Amino acid sequence: MIRIAAVGDVHLGEDARGRLRPALEQLGDRADVLLLAGDLTRHGTVSEARVVADEFGGLPVPVVAVLGNHDHHDDKPDEVTAVLRDAGITVLEGETATIGVDGRTLGVAGVKGFGGGFAGKCGSAFGEPEMKAFIRHTTDIADSLRIALDSLDTDVKVALTHYSPVPDTLRGEPPEIYPFLGSYLLGEAIDATETHLAVHGHAHFGNEQGMTPGGVRVRNVAQPVIRSAYTVYCVEPAVVEV
Amino acid sequence: MTAEQYLAARLRQALAEDPRTTELGVRVTVRGDHVLLSGDVASPERRAEMEAVIHDVAPELTVLDDVKVVPSEAPVGREELR
Ligand SMILES: [Fe+2]
Ligand SMILES: [Fe+2]
Repeated sequence: MIRIAAVGDVHLGEDARGRLRPALEQLGDRADVLLLAGDLTRHGTVSEARVVADEFGGLPVPVVAVLGNHDHHDDKPDEVTAVLRDAGITVLEGETATIGVDGRTLGVAGVKGFGGGFAGKCGSAFGEPEMKAFIRHTTDIADSLRIALDSLDTDVKVALTHYSPVPDTLRGEPPEIYPFLGSYLLGEAIDATETHLAVHGHAHFGNEQGMTPGGVRVRNVAQPVIRSAYTVYCVEPAVVEV
Repeated sequence: MTAEQYLAARLRQALAEDPRTTELGVRVTVRGDHVLLSGDVASPERRAEMEAVIHDVAPELTVLDDVKVVPSEAPVGREELR
């Protein structure tokens, strides 16, 4: 059994330093990996990234993260990424991480994701350049997620994003803002690649459980949704293997 | 939209864009002279910061603050996916 701990939207800053650490100290007994689903900072500053690095660095399990929109706010995603990597945190944007657990392998493909909306209620790359740029950002990210997931040859495959691949996990958010919360293109990439689980954040008022059109489990792990320092999902490779 | 809805939209925008808060995860409801804030934030200090931003934009409003600090304890139990 592979035990996947996950949390998103911790929105750390100097004022919240150390709040999660006590709960994380026992993580080695409860999980094999910790996934961070973006919005790790408030403003995306380098000093906030250092708080995140101190909070999640040096844990007994590998830590794999994607950035969220807040982590881009100060226009320094590369610097934020570098600070996290220096602390031993793996930061993915179109890349993959593979972790061995008791002779089995867990593969994680991660992207930030973006908005655009869900099938039948979404924007398209048409009209003004601003609209085309918006949708193309989503399309590019969904393509890189699909390529990354496709490249994994592991016993269990997990997609890690900040934005949501499905509307199911957004219930509780106003429907009018769904196009800013995720894109069906992420879900399509997940469904095309024999992925076992999709984990995301971003929707603070959403709910935890959902499913892609292809039947893949989706979990919204935004901290205000899971209401704890992290949550744990157990996946049995023998059961999920085709 | 009513004047209250426009005011709520302006307050929501201020909470999202003011560098003191950059808070998108808080609901803002205006009723008469009162503004209700609800949702979760990562530290107790952030409630005071939000109240300060609201006061700058609409000093005439009384703030009702239902915002909670998000729980950060280890989870009870786990979910088995099969
Ligand atoms: Fe967030
Ligand atoms: Fe977000």
